[in-house]
Amino acid sequence: MRTNRPSTEQLALHATSIRKNLIRMVARNGQGYVQQGLGAADLFTQLYFCEANLDSDDPNWPERDRIFLSTAHNSAVFHATLAERGIIDPELLETYTQDGSPVEINVSERLGPIVEATCGSLGQALSVAIGICQSAKRKNQQFRTYVILGDGELQEGQTWEAAMYAGSNGLDNLCLIVDVNRLQVDGPTENVLSMEPVDDKWRAFGWATRSVDGHDFQQMADAFDWARSKKGKPTVLLLNTLVGKGIPFLEGQMSHNMVFPQHVADKALQVLESGHG
Amino acid sequence: MGDGEGMNNNLHLGDFTSNASTGATVPNYYGDALIELAASRPDIVALNGDLAPATECAKFKEIYPDRFFSPGIAEANMVGMAAGMARNGDVPFVHTFSVFISRRAFDQVAMQVAYPKLNVKLSGFLPGLTTLLGVSHQAIEDMALMRSLPNMTLIEPCCASQIPAAVRAAAEHQGPVYLRMHRPARPMADNEPLLPLHIGKAQMMKEGSDAIILASGHMVAEALSAANTLDEQGAKVSVANIHSLKPLDVDFVIEHARRTGAVVTAENHSIIGGLGSAVAETLLEAGVHAKFKRVGIQDTFAEGGSTDYLFDKYGLSAKHIVAAVQQLLS
Repeated sequence: MRTNRPSTEQLALHATSIRKNLIRMVARNGQGYVQQGLGAADLFTQLYFCEANLDSDDPNWPERDRIFLSTAHNSAVFHATLAERGIIDPELLETYTQDGSPVEINVSERLGPIVEATCGSLGQALSVAIGICQSAKRKNQQFRTYVILGDGELQEGQTWEAAMYAGSNGLDNLCLIVDVNRLQVDGPTENVLSMEPVDDKWRAFGWATRSVDGHDFQQMADAFDWARSKKGKPTVLLLNTLVGKGIPFLEGQMSHNMVFPQHVADKALQVLESGHG
Repeated sequence: MGDGEGMNNNLHLGDFTSNASTGATVPNYYGDALIELAASRPDIVALNGDLAPATECAKFKEIYPDRFFSPGIAEANMVGMAAGMARNGDVPFVHTFSVFISRRAFDQVAMQVAYPKLNVKLSGFLPGLTTLLGVSHQAIEDMALMRSLPNMTLIEPCCASQIPAAVRAAAEHQGPVYLRMHRPARPMADNEPLLPLHIGKAQMMKEGSDAIILASGHMVAEALSAANTLDEQGAKVSVANIHSLKPLDVDFVIEHARRTGAVVTAENHSIIGGLGSAVAETLLEAGVHAKFKRVGIQDTFAEGGSTDYLFDKYGLSAKHIVAAVQQLLS
């Protein structure tokens, strides 16, 4: 169990800062992945500030925990988190989606080794992650591997090929985080192609599962502790998140690539500045 | 029988190539080369898509159980896993049939292997029309697909005697390699010398000044047979082994096309996108005016059948190469 985590208050400050940055980043294009970014800001905060062993001075540190962002389009929150954590220069955020910038709308390893794989084509990261986990087991390396997967990606067949392998081979150095925001391009996930019961599916594939509130830092901390303590099985955390979280007038608006003009962004920033999020 | 290992090989051939019916016990030239290499290279690991006997990995699995991984019948996942292992410093050799590593897992190969230039070796078996297993198992466009990927190197040994060098070249090259493997139907002759293989270099197999046949893989033997027939008819024809389709030995192709003025390409592959296309692109861009003909699968799907039958039916046998050269020289 981790004892040196930042306080919930400190985490909330980081999450707010990340939300402000991602709002500014998306607003410059007038559209983008703002809703799922706001929804995932708390889980990114928990993972990058409490759970993963990273060296912000050496992103290529061989013993670092690996974090794969399979939902590579959730890039605003990803880059904002890296800046908040001191891994990339905050000024890079200003170049988000600009021609020539390594801060792309689908996260690319052009950014550097902190991007563990280039994953815009959905459903591929889990396979790369289990390759690393299997290799690390063979070589007795102690780092852990985290994968952030969208619930829509559960529809990709490759996800289940990888799930079968990890379950069958007991890769307990792997922790999968499913961002259950119930949102995909064509609408709510249950209307496009329902995947329920999701946790039964993972259990059937040999995984240990836990479903938690993806906005409750304490619940998430307990879940990550539980995942680290689980031996002989890969773990999956189903983190229930709310799209638009933190901005009351955006919460629950199911838009995958939302029109997001500057005046709406300004209103959202006001909410966060005033602390009423 | 007393020869347990040989019997085991025959019973578990597993790929429905023609050699099963000949009853010949053919050594695992590929598998033995990989095992030999793995002894001095602890970074080499093998992944297998439920085809260990047909991809000559069964012995590797016995000798190196901790370096052999079975992702099962799940090629997309297998390619991704190999990428993860390469990112952690291993040199994974991925084994399945050519058709599944190209057609089926192409997005994964492109995004997780080629784009990040990872040190993954993709060993594809059953190239072209070499199996009874039919259209689902016949890779007729694998070279076209793989060649179109940036960062990818394409190697195809011509015969048993070049397989050890092909495996070594793949392992020594830093970066992604597609190794197109045809399992020989017969053992090498006792005195057959081993052929070297240098990535990016063509290999002259027979010299003649009237035309040149640029052949790859299995078709090198057909081309040599065709050249002997043409010899008897008074036409002196060069035969070159293009074991490295990418990078192609562009200087060699241009020089010999200029010298002979007549070029036939011969590949166990569609005439679209593979060796014939690569040579045509090279010659046209270099401004070489040579007579030119592509022998290969003529933009059609095939069917299951013996290699001899299929090569005859789909225009890949020595007599088709002879006819192509004659047409250019007439």
